[in-house]
Amino acid sequence: MNKDIQVSISNKDDVSILNIKGDVTAITGETIEDAYQKVSTAGAKKILLYFDKDGYINSGGIAILIGVASESRKKEQKIRITGLSSHFQKIFDMVGLTKYTEIFPSEELALKDF
Amino acid sequence: MNTDKNIELHIPSVMGYEKIAMECAASMAKKMGFTEDRIEDLKTAVAEACLNAIEHGNKLDTSTKVGITLTVEESRLQVSVRDEGKGIGKIPTPNIERKIEGGDKPRGWGIFLIKSLVNEVTFEPSPGGGNVTKMIIYLEK
Repeated sequence: MNKDIQVSISNKDDVSILNIKGDVTAITGETIEDAYQKVSTAGAKKILLYFDKDGYINSGGIAILIGVASESRKKEQKIRITGLSSHFQKIFDMVGLTKYTEIFPSEELALKDF
Repeated sequence: MNTDKNIELHIPSVMGYEKIAMECAASMAKKMGFTEDRIEDLKTAVAEACLNAIEHGNKLDTSTKVGITLTVEESRLQVSVRDEGKGIGKIPTPNIERKIEGGDKPRGWGIFLIKSLVNEVTFEPSPGGGNVTKMIIYLEK
């Protein structure tokens, strides 16, 4: 397990929530991918990525999330995002990730959208 | 040049150490009066320049270092990031559609982010060998 990241999984109704605490980088990416694969294997069709507002995300981490977004399209899963700082909301928009997933200001609003 | 306003640090070519340079640049920018938004832009740009130097410039060779110089000027901060490599060649502009469809690898966003977040950037061979990424960020965008 990577000490720079913790990913816990919870469920609310039919939504699987990945609570991502810590750094999102190429080094920690495997932990996120493993959690994603775990909920996918369990049949999740609605997945909420709940980020840590103070977390560090770099280009390696963005690549991991693009991989998740890519796979979710093939599996016809809906991915929603919350918890991001305004800076990383801007970054996700810059790279175009927001074309494939939507960012919400709160967990409540994200869950309502599914 | 007023060398009192220059800060130099060297980090090992190990992923994760870019955060040291990032926090150092952020502290300086805060001291200079940059807004929180601009500090966040600077942090990402410095981290990405260091990551490029670590991974692509120095090829993760732990016997090499990445040098970072912060130069404080009246209304702007210059950050130079030097590696000991041979250059990384031309990086194509990343395309999210091709990456999502699986045609391109998902990585390759570092230079795109740097160019998007700072006011000026150059990528050049360093006179002492290696390469240098020079970034300038202004107090006001």
